Amino acid sequence: MTTTTARRSAATTAGPASNSPAGTHGVSFGGILKSEWIKLWTLLSTKLLLATTLVAIVGVGAITVLARYAIMDQMISMAEESGQKLTPEQMEQTFPPGSQMDLYNLPNSGLQIGILVLGSLAVLFVASEYSTGMIRSTMSAVPKRIPAFAAKAVILAVVSYVITTIAAVATYLIAIPVFAGRGIDMGWDRDGVIYSIFTGGLYVAGVALIGLSLGVLLRNSAGAITLLVGIFFVLPIASSFMTFLPGDFWKYVPQYLPADSGGRFLSIGHLDATIDPWQGGLIFLGYVLLFLVPATFVLKRRDV
Amino acid sequence: MIEVKDLSKVYGSKTAVAGVSFTVKAGQVTGFLGPNGAGKSTTMRMIMGLDRPTSGSAIVNGRPYSAHRDPLHQVGALLDAKAVHTSRSAYNHLRAMAATHSIPLSRVHEVIEMTGLEAVAKKKAGGFSLGMGQRLGIAAALLGDPQTLILDEPVNGLDPEGVLWVRNLVRYLASQGKTVFLSSHLMSEMAQTADHLLVIGRGRIIADAPMAQVLAGSRQAVTLVRTSAASQLSSLLVGNGVKVDQNEPETLKVSGLDSRQIAQLALEHSILVYELTPQSTSLEEAYFELTRDEVEYHSRVSDGSSNQSIAAPAGK
Repeated sequence: MTTTTARRSAATTAGPASNSPAGTHGVSFGGILKSEWIKLWTLLSTKLLLATTLVAIVGVGAITVLARYAIMDQMISMAEESGQKLTPEQMEQTFPPGSQMDLYNLPNSGLQIGILVLGSLAVLFVASEYSTGMIRSTMSAVPKRIPAFAAKAVILAVVSYVITTIAAVATYLIAIPVFAGRGIDMGWDRDGVIYSIFTGGLYVAGVALIGLSLGVLLRNSAGAITLLVGIFFVLPIASSFMTFLPGDFWKYVPQYLPADSGGRFLSIGHLDATIDPWQGGLIFLGYVLLFLVPATFVLKRRDV
Repeated sequence: MIEVKDLSKVYGSKTAVAGVSFTVKAGQVTGFLGPNGAGKSTTMRMIMGLDRPTSGSAIVNGRPYSAHRDPLHQVGALLDAKAVHTSRSAYNHLRAMAATHSIPLSRVHEVIEMTGLEAVAKKKAGGFSLGMGQRLGIAAALLGDPQTLILDEPVNGLDPEGVLWVRNLVRYLASQGKTVFLSSHLMSEMAQTADHLLVIGRGRIIADAPMAQVLAGSRQAVTLVRTSAASQLSSLLVGNGVKVDQNEPETLKVSGLDSRQIAQLALEHSILVYELTPQSTSLEEAYFELTRDEVEYHSRVSDGSSNQSIAAPAGK
């Protein structure tokens, strides 16, 4: 009897605004975004990691630029010795599309570093909340849970995109004067340059979302980072051995794996027996969702 | 106001909480007492929506916690003093928590001041002592100036000054009409702080009553008797519903007779009695009485022989 009366009285006083302290705001997605933004930038490790990432992507990019130039320079010199004089256009055509020596994708030369570090950062962003217990504070403030996960995803995707894009532009700015020495015009209007700058950030943002999902699913930084490295660095190597298997079927499998399909998304032009860039993009998006959706579901259901 | 109805939580084959129902009313401090592993923390986590109940429901201020649009203003909770990222400063932790509800920075400074964290606010929370961690947890709970406070072992690790501060704080908040629900295993602390007591053992509520009633109605009055002829008096007293307990030489604890009857009997047999004191039951005794069958982890310390009769469960 007492519980029913108590229940009724609670129901009558529980209007949506009536029992909120005056002049206060409810939880809002903007507020949650701001909270996650504060969380990201109030860890010294994050700041150091992001600064080093930027330097590392550009650094590795610059080395790749110089290496490609050196190879190209050597081949041109050899041609000159045999009495041939190559025009800049002919020089470029020494490298057929898909030979990994294209010039339009130079902005993404250091992308692998971005994948490794930003993917790991994404894992840590959520897995460290589990290991420290912070997740219980987060989920107490946002008991619907999904908005907190969405805010983390947005912040990580944006930060990954911005850093990768800045690094890509910086890498290309280094490439321009290097190749100008051989009279090659490295203008921004070169086919595929803007495209690869645009898609490089998207790819790394996608990897970050996969990292975030793995962090939620495994709740363990070491395990999730290992798995992420396995997917993006070990699997491509392992899958390259598939081409040695008998039958044509295995030759077509690797391009459908996450790293390969994502990598294909960054390139331009059609190659025979290879998925087109847009198809690679869609397949990679599928992989991102394949991790994000179960992570969202698990996060909503599981005890924290 | 917290209303819990038939709440249970089963982990695999282990039942942590077995269908508890209770109401925590506004305007008073409700204590949640129980031995380790009795289900206190699990119950509190289910109220906060952190653990999913196996069955049953928990309603806070009229709706499930997660259904509130301003959860931090409804309930402030200290469930785990370690629910903080160890590499982030206390100030930044509170700032991030406050941002979710657009709580102004002035309130962050306010709670830091209230909890006495000014000196360490900019330091990494990972380096905090247990007591400082508790203060930070309480600061976070107070951020939204909530209607309801849920505090799991709030005085754990606090120095005596901190214990007093928590006691005064929760008493003040209750006097302001707020709902205060706190758990503790420190019975003396509970006796001084709580108005109402919920006792939980093995996942079941075994007492739900005002503190005064728990203290008064727990068991028969006991009289402490000091006499030079303890064994002689003991044999005269015992039987006919009277129980005698001897743990120290020349000292008896007698229940079932009042002090006047004991004095009369001693006089008739010319036994010297040099102390005769009616004992008021402490919460501790009341608690042991209530939880005797419900303790998850018994420590094997032998009781006085006559305690065995009390230990025999009435319902078996």
